Amino acid sequence: MSDDKNSAIESVKVKLSRTRTWGGMETENVYRPETGIDQEYEEKLGDPGQYPYTRGVSESGYRRKMWTLRNIVGYGAPEDTLEGIRSALAAGTAGINVVPDALTQQAVDPDHPAFGVEVGAEGCSIACARDMERLTQDIDITQSGVAYHYGMLAYAVSAAVATRRGISLDKMLGSSMPDFLSYSLSGWGQQVFPAAFAHKATLDCLEFSTQNSPYWAVAMPQAYDLRERGAPPWGEIAYGMAIVNRTMEDLVSRGLSVDEVAPSLAWVSTSDIDFFEEVAKFRAVRRVWARTMKERFGATNPRAMSIRMACHTAGKSLVYQQPLNNLSRVAIQSFAALCGGVQSLEACTFDEPICIPTPEARELATRTQQILAHEVGAARTIDPLGGSYYVEALTDEIESRALAMLADIEEKGIVEAIADGSLEKLMDEHNLTQEREMASKDRIMVGRNDFVPGEEEQPKRFTFDKENTRKHIARFIEMKKTRDNDLLQDKLRKLYLIAQGDDNFHQAMIDAFVADGTIGEVWGTVRMANGLSYDPFHVIESPFSFN
Amino acid sequence: MEPLDLEQIISALRAGELRTAARLISRIENNDPELLPLLKKLYLLGGNTQVVGITGPPGAGKSTLVNQLVSSYRQNDKRVAVLAVDPSSPFSGGAILGDRVRMSRHDADPGVFIRSMASRGSLGGLANAAADTISLLDIMGWDLIIVETVGVGQNELEIMRHADTVVLIQTPESGDAVQAVKAGVLEIGDIFAVNKADHHDADKLAAAIADMVASKGLVEGWIPEVIKTEAVSGKGIDELMTHIGAHQNFLKDSTPAVRARNLQKVRFRVLDICKQNATRKLLEGQYASDIEPKLSAVVDRESDPYTVAAELID
Amino acid sequence: MNDSANPQSGKIRCLLGMLGTDVHSKGIRTLAQLLRDAGIEVIYIGEHNTVPGMVRSIIVEDADVVGLSFLSSNYLDYCEQLRDEMRDAGASDTPVMVGGIIHQEDYEALGALGVSGIFGPGSTTQDVLDFLQQATGKTLN
Repeated sequence: MSDDKNSAIESVKVKLSRTRTWGGMETENVYRPETGIDQEYEEKLGDPGQYPYTRGVSESGYRRKMWTLRNIVGYGAPEDTLEGIRSALAAGTAGINVVPDALTQQAVDPDHPAFGVEVGAEGCSIACARDMERLTQDIDITQSGVAYHYGMLAYAVSAAVATRRGISLDKMLGSSMPDFLSYSLSGWGQQVFPAAFAHKATLDCLEFSTQNSPYWAVAMPQAYDLRERGAPPWGEIAYGMAIVNRTMEDLVSRGLSVDEVAPSLAWVSTSDIDFFEEVAKFRAVRRVWARTMKERFGATNPRAMSIRMACHTAGKSLVYQQPLNNLSRVAIQSFAALCGGVQSLEACTFDEPICIPTPEARELATRTQQILAHEVGAARTIDPLGGSYYVEALTDEIESRALAMLADIEEKGIVEAIADGSLEKLMDEHNLTQEREMASKDRIMVGRNDFVPGEEEQPKRFTFDKENTRKHIARFIEMKKTRDNDLLQDKLRKLYLIAQGDDNFHQAMIDAFVADGTIGEVWGTVRMANGLSYDPFHVIESPFSFN
Repeated sequence: MEPLDLEQIISALRAGELRTAARLISRIENNDPELLPLLKKLYLLGGNTQVVGITGPPGAGKSTLVNQLVSSYRQNDKRVAVLAVDPSSPFSGGAILGDRVRMSRHDADPGVFIRSMASRGSLGGLANAAADTISLLDIMGWDLIIVETVGVGQNELEIMRHADTVVLIQTPESGDAVQAVKAGVLEIGDIFAVNKADHHDADKLAAAIADMVASKGLVEGWIPEVIKTEAVSGKGIDELMTHIGAHQNFLKDSTPAVRARNLQKVRFRVLDICKQNATRKLLEGQYASDIEPKLSAVVDRESDPYTVAAELID
Repeated sequence: MNDSANPQSGKIRCLLGMLGTDVHSKGIRTLAQLLRDAGIEVIYIGEHNTVPGMVRSIIVEDADVVGLSFLSSNYLDYCEQLRDEMRDAGASDTPVMVGGIIHQEDYEALGALGVSGIFGPGSTTQDVLDFLQQATGKTLN
């Protein structure tokens, strides 16, 4: 390093570039006790573990039960990801989150003629029950659950695996994210996943899993994706609650009760870079949730009123340039999540904006959480920022903005507003505003639009041998030839008939997966039964006939 | 620029050469005067394909409905061309033409031709560009031409005058019916589609439109149908196709009403050309040397605007 | 407003879209808005396109230039498929630009595949606008 560069770094001056929060709320220079926090304590905050749960869902906090320290894994064939799971567990990770590749997420088979290059590229390819069996071969699914980082069919394939192993569905652990409306809104598009169809798929999945697998957790709403797609903290609550409310209403009209369904749910949240704003957001989510469940849906079960939160730090906040800076960002965001009282946390790896995580980066993400747990004291005391004039004011402001936005969305209806593109437009406008602020440096991201580093070494990228992936595809094609295709045809026909009507089609999907059906075949059949094309990309036709 | 080889171009279009067609549409959009001989010829050869205009307020589900309509025609082995018009930004002149997103299933289908066009906000320019593009598509031998545009603003609605059959889409949301009456757009509909038919107010809206239509007393021999559709699921699309076909049959009969309708269509076509020519002369400076002294004289009160206008268009 | 006779003039028509199953369309949707605000006509075809579908769209729309965004790692594979399909369809003369998470070490390989504009991390809207004018020979406004 030259002397010039050294002195430039040592003499650097910092001035405030922005008085608004990262989400866009104006802030005061100082906050005072004018909001009457003490008088409203019971009503607005309550002790941890007490309604409205603003300060936390448990009275014992992290002292009795630490947050689940999670690490995401997923690449290549199931065998490759299995290796990753083993090394993450060896590094001290408590829970495994499996990220599937984009094809698996969208129920497209790995032998689809248009997308072969994507198999295993950004996650693990899990295209049938046998693939999931390979992935979970070390795991007793009645003792420890895998958190599947996707919604599409994760539960049904897991249930098929359980069935094939002779395990009753009510013993099955694990979790998945079947919030299809959020996917429909955050990039999947109406041509692939029409909103009304997405909504029905979510209802069926929730109805079936809460009734048959009480230990299977449902990550819903998938508010993380909504934030990443383009929403401020209050937008996370507004979009998330709009989806939850509609889902609850429709489940109630199917005869389920909120007391029965809500305890299975976990809010999938993000933690962006504005520390105080995010802490306030977590607190506001709990308060809005509790009041909604109690006042709107008449919940009486405290577990239904207290929402658990799973947090993954904000991928979009990370910067490609000088990527080691992301370690600082992720540490602060993780700290915010813990001050916000989340139940599980995935810290992004510093190389997230560059590639899927390298093993080194994954290890450091785990270390970040361990530093917070053991050195920083993040777990010592519940809601450490409760009572801060600033954080309480932010919590109130986020709540009131969220409720106003929610009312707007519900006036049209969340399904309708997704279907007609109006929410997508709102998100586009949000992103455009942020981009303009970046261009004018009203919003500064270090390394991206200011303090840009000069020539840098190219970041190290994760690579893995594609040999397993090639074998996996060949094995998949072979499996389709050698399985009992008559049996499968029979199962798919039954699925087709049931999915045409209003009955829940999940057991029929599970049966088809038990009979070695593939994700493309099973979901394609459900699509056809709902008047859609077998292949969302209109390249292939169903090899089965249902007449 | 080489003079156009009309015969060659026309046989290329008849052979379905996409690049030739696509590039000519760009030149039409850019008001290329070299095309004039071709455009005249295309008009004389045209009139063989039914042109269906589809319009309605933003968010009514037009692209989704057109997508379904195209799918249904394809199932009947009909080849379809779509001209999708979206407004240009009045501030920048740019545009986001996003109709293809909801029609992407047809992208690779040789039996479908979808072209996006920005309204570009010029006086009469859009209507002419659309009309000339229709003539060009007509020669290519598609079985049907669909022109889709958002029903806001005079500029976009003018295009509908070039359609043989106008389908007006309304939704039960946000008081479309009242808006439609106010804007006078109900007058132009030959078929009314109440989209989002599962909405609780759909029946009410359909009845209200039927009432209004009945009280208007429209073209003799054709009573506009009000049908209910669900663009997302495709419900009602076959019925819509049936009525589009029925309207085509109605237009085939040379009744006085149809004749009057065609005359009116051409009247507006000629008017659009006049407007555009005047616009070019005046605003786009193509005849600047000629017009500038006359405008100067008006500024100096030596002449008056009526006289100059009369010299421009006699 | 430029309505002059020269077919080389007129608005820049830029087709933007994504290939494959990558759903991270935030970036390209924002770019579409920024280009619109700079006076460009953006033909936005969204995510989830196949290579043949995109190439036919390029031709039918007579796009002056094509822009693709990738947040997934397989951009070299897709750019190669696109190059081949465009060549077979006689559309090789349409310039192609890519953006998103594009790594510097791949710039050369992308260039060899006929990609003439590369906008990786750190690129600005102005960089894209400069490229569009240079690649199409048309000017803004």
